[in-house]
Amino acid sequence: MMEALSRPSVMREATRLNKPCHMPTKRAAAVDVHAPSVALPLRFILTGLMALLAGSVWLVARPIVLSGYHYGPEVLAATHLFVLGWICSVIMGAMYQLVPVALETRLHSERLARWHFGLHLVGFAGMVAMFLAWDMKQIGHFGSVLAGGVGLFVYNLGRTLARIPRWNVVAYGIASALSWLAATVLAGLFLASAKCWPHITFFQPIAAMHAHAHLGGLGFFMIMIVAVSYKLVPMFTLSELQNTRRAGWSLALLNAGLAGTFITVLFSSPWKLAFAFVVVSGLALHGIELVAILRARKRRNRDWGMRYFLTALALLAPVSGLGIVLAWPRLPATALTIQLESVYGFLALIGVVTFAIIGMLYKVVPFLVWYSSYSKAIGKKKVPSLADLYSPTLQAAGYWLFLAGLALTSGATALGHTNCVRAGCFVLLAGVAVFVVNIGKVLSHLVRPRLESLVLKPAAQGAA
Amino acid sequence: MTATIVDEATIRQALSQVVDPEIDCNIVDLGLVYNIAIEGTKVTVTMTLTTPGCPMHESIAGGVKCALLNLEGVEDVEVNVVWDPPWSPAHMNDDGRKRTGIY
Repeated sequence: MMEALSRPSVMREATRLNKPCHMPTKRAAAVDVHAPSVALPLRFILTGLMALLAGSVWLVARPIVLSGYHYGPEVLAATHLFVLGWICSVIMGAMYQLVPVALETRLHSERLARWHFGLHLVGFAGMVAMFLAWDMKQIGHFGSVLAGGVGLFVYNLGRTLARIPRWNVVAYGIASALSWLAATVLAGLFLASAKCWPHITFFQPIAAMHAHAHLGGLGFFMIMIVAVSYKLVPMFTLSELQNTRRAGWSLALLNAGLAGTFITVLFSSPWKLAFAFVVVSGLALHGIELVAILRARKRRNRDWGMRYFLTALALLAPVSGLGIVLAWPRLPATALTIQLESVYGFLALIGVVTFAIIGMLYKVVPFLVWYSSYSKAIGKKKVPSLADLYSPTLQAAGYWLFLAGLALTSGATALGHTNCVRAGCFVLLAGVAVFVVNIGKVLSHLVRPRLESLVLKPAAQGAA
Repeated sequence: MTATIVDEATIRQALSQVVDPEIDCNIVDLGLVYNIAIEGTKVTVTMTLTTPGCPMHESIAGGVKCALLNLEGVEDVEVNVVWDPPWSPAHMNDDGRKRTGIY
């Protein structure tokens, strides 16, 4: 066996430990080269969970946000609560953890990340409040604070990516998603500025808003999800990327399609349909690659975390279909088509992106908590597995509630039926609440770790 | 005074206390341990993980060291994590297959 082990592939652990092992040593700490402190991603994730809960309660209290026209102060405030408070917070926190670990490098600066968190919190909370008040000047101010945080995030992860040993399709995907994030924030600041000084723009406000939304939703969220899925799905199903070129092409098509979509949506050009097809073909290639990865998996049983994630990707089919319909040249602006725009945004953000994030959080949060509470006890005490930290029953209940809420709310939004939207959002809120309770169950291990003594076997055979 | 010399069976027994928390199976049954070399009181373990870039890398390697240093007769532990040959379910034993459902 040893002859089969090629020497360059041997990664020698940084240290040898001498007894006693229960005493933490500097040399032992030096082994943890990849992961930042768990407090860093957790603070982003907890912020995100609070925003998700607040946003879900908001939709139940004010279903008009979905059943009414989608360009107004309250809709924009709620959208930015979900987009910045929930989705961005969680993705950014998870990226600080995932990028160094998955790409085998070290985060450039935890200090910058902590500054980012402060700016992000102030920026998004202020923006949501100012959207409600419809104070464009203050939206611009808080947006600038948020942009400062995003600048730190992009710089920090950019420097981290610059030191990875091997660039691969995942790294290229993450790099492009970061570029789109920067573009989204700049576009958002331009939109706020154009509201204050209308003479600086000649774009139609609705078209500019739709272009800005696609930059963020497709550019940052979707490309990030596609990129990390090429790492996480093989990792969690014990499989491998099956075709690197196919994965690369899927990201290339998404990037090219988004660039074209942004320009054509901004100028209300009929060519947006062509670029919508480019985006859909990128997503289709991603789907084909994922099916191939799953067919080659060694772990046959799919846990609920993976089911959430794969369901999110399946939801791309109706979202893509709606995208094609809405990109159709000279589509009449009827009550139905205008409501379908709301369904499109809702299904993309609360369906695809939120479902994918919940699935990944069922992997990331148990890992963070386990790492913080149990990693130093492994080999010394009986530690729980990751699956022991949460309840699969709650996972299943949350999954079906969320899916039912999504379907009901989407249908009711399409019809503009306020009471049915409220009912759908209530079911959705129940799904979110179940999810939050389950995550709370995981987090309780931070406060009260459950360690048991190992059953010690007889030590060594004595000899003269 | 007698010196205590640890044997491979005892080492494997100790390593079976180290569990991959993602898969919920110990590293011996999973077939992650490729080789054990004992030189006096020093033990060198050559092992792999189920996937490169595994976030549990440091925890599992650290757990191997701690589990072995708890044994009488072990003073020094070295862990070599290798990716070649890559892990596959073929390395698992029957207990591991039964526990994980991975075949």
